[in-house]
Amino acid sequence: MSSEATRRARALAALGPLASLVVLAAILAARSAEPGRMTLELAWAPPGPGRPLGSGDAGLELGALVGHATLRALGLAAVVSCVGFGVGLPLGAAAGLARGRAERAVLGVCDLVQAFPTFLLALAVLSAVATPSRLHIGLVFAVTAWAPFARLAAAQARVLADAQFVEAARALGVSRFRTVARHVLPNLLGTVAIQLGTSAAGLVLGEAALGFVGLGPADGVSLGALLEQGTLGMLRAPHVLAVGAAAVAAASFSLQLASEGLRRWAHG
Amino acid sequence: MAGGGGAPGPPAATRRHPAGNVARASRVLARIAREALGRTVASAGVLFALATLVFLALRLLPGDPAALVLGEQASEADRAALRARLGMDRPLAVQYAVFLRGLATLDLGDSLARPGVRAFAQVADALVPTAELAGLAVTGGALLGVALALGSVGPWLGARREWVHRAVLVLAATPLLALAPLATWALAVELRWVPLPGDPESRFGGVAFAAGLLSLPLAAQVARIARAALLDLGRAKFLDVARAKGGSAARVWIVHALPAASAPIAVVVATQLGALLGGAVVLERLFERPGLGSLMLAAYASRDLPVLEASVIAAGMLFVAAQAAAAAVAAAVDPRGRA
Repeated sequence: MSSEATRRARALAALGPLASLVVLAAILAARSAEPGRMTLELAWAPPGPGRPLGSGDAGLELGALVGHATLRALGLAAVVSCVGFGVGLPLGAAAGLARGRAERAVLGVCDLVQAFPTFLLALAVLSAVATPSRLHIGLVFAVTAWAPFARLAAAQARVLADAQFVEAARALGVSRFRTVARHVLPNLLGTVAIQLGTSAAGLVLGEAALGFVGLGPADGVSLGALLEQGTLGMLRAPHVLAVGAAAVAAASFSLQLASEGLRRWAHG
Repeated sequence: MAGGGGAPGPPAATRRHPAGNVARASRVLARIAREALGRTVASAGVLFALATLVFLALRLLPGDPAALVLGEQASEADRAALRARLGMDRPLAVQYAVFLRGLATLDLGDSLARPGVRAFAQVADALVPTAELAGLAVTGGALLGVALALGSVGPWLGARREWVHRAVLVLAATPLLALAPLATWALAVELRWVPLPGDPESRFGGVAFAAGLLSLPLAAQVARIARAALLDLGRAKFLDVARAKGGSAARVWIVHALPAASAPIAVVVATQLGALLGGAVVLERLFERPGLGSLMLAAYASRDLPVLEASVIAAGMLFVAAQAAAAAVAAAVDPRGRA
């Protein structure tokens, strides 16, 4: 096995924790289709037969709840960061290639958006709807998620536009469109994709923080709401807190590891 | 000992005169001032955008704000009365003008939940505990981070300094949201080593514990950056000179290396201020401690619109000021960012 292949295998292995987390969450979620079902007589019951993670407030089955909440959090983070990638990459690449006024304008807007406190934005927007849903939360995050991608793409496109192989393509008479499509974009993708993991980890924590302070989806199936239950029941049922904190930490750690793996994959 | 005995000094032209220091210092100050002015304009733009968004969110998104406040069952007469009280029965442009005047004079009207109390007065009251918490956390986090960095580069811990570095990396990756409730349960509930910060009788111990938690992510970031900066400096000639003169490890690292590494440390502290404010909101909720975050969330829950607007804008001001400070510090110490 070449060292290059070993390196790539190691980089891919960094995706393992994330994959395991998804599988584990799916298995837990498959135990019950209604994570919000209450069984009052089991409220705050510790782990026992039939309920491996125990019960939470009003007898919610913690296994199913944490499974669904983790999958939804990861799903939201994946969708929003992909939207950010899809919007930010072309925008940033175009700005970086165009240079001049267009680039300054895009970077200026990035500055403005990145300086925006997402939490306050969420509070302002969510206060106008009677019952916030995951869609609203995703929309609020999407407003700011594209900026880091655009900034990275712009910086990278600038570097690539000056690279010798791009100059060579231009000198050989390759059309501008073909140069960008065949030589600039493929080299841009890897570098900008690294931001996906970082961005997703931030989004999972952002959604959990919103849920924790009471701005989560109304159905209560979110990591933040689970953590809040855990802190409320800290005195009588510490297992709820343990499950919530472990799930938030696992989601954040596994995404950060995956992002590190992607970085190694692209840069070696 | 700093003079170097009888060694020949540098040529007179390059020797540091006090007057030269003053001139240099005033140039640096002028640059900071120029930078600060530019940032102030940009920050005012962000703040204006945030305020406008808060204003528009409640007025343009579908749904009747009066119904949000009073509930769906409220009679049409009650809703109309509330709309009139909030000025929402007037044309949008007039409302916006009144809103902007209210912003400029820091008077967005009275709280709905506590009639007779101005919204910004409530915000001013709430700022005190938040400033106390955040101020303690910034100081503690910066000091702890520098201490961890020194521990991970200095000779005092021997081979164990690698452990310090690894612990810092793990701490940097650990979300405060998961760590804070667990630490509270372990330290305040099970072991009872620290008082619960939400307890009114906890006094300073409670604030110190909350600030300690809040300072951990900052300390980890500071330690990472400071360690990298110190390791970079470790190979510098002037440290060899200090060592050759018989300076102890503590003297070499703390007196000679640390001041040279202060620029990246200042930048990382400043850039983490925004995250710290976000963490303060979470901790205020966790400990049911009064403060700006608690006020904002209470106003959100009861749809106390004037207080919500005032507190979101005040928090935005703090956040934007922190970011502007970070950018100004970064620009002042990093010549690459200079135009």
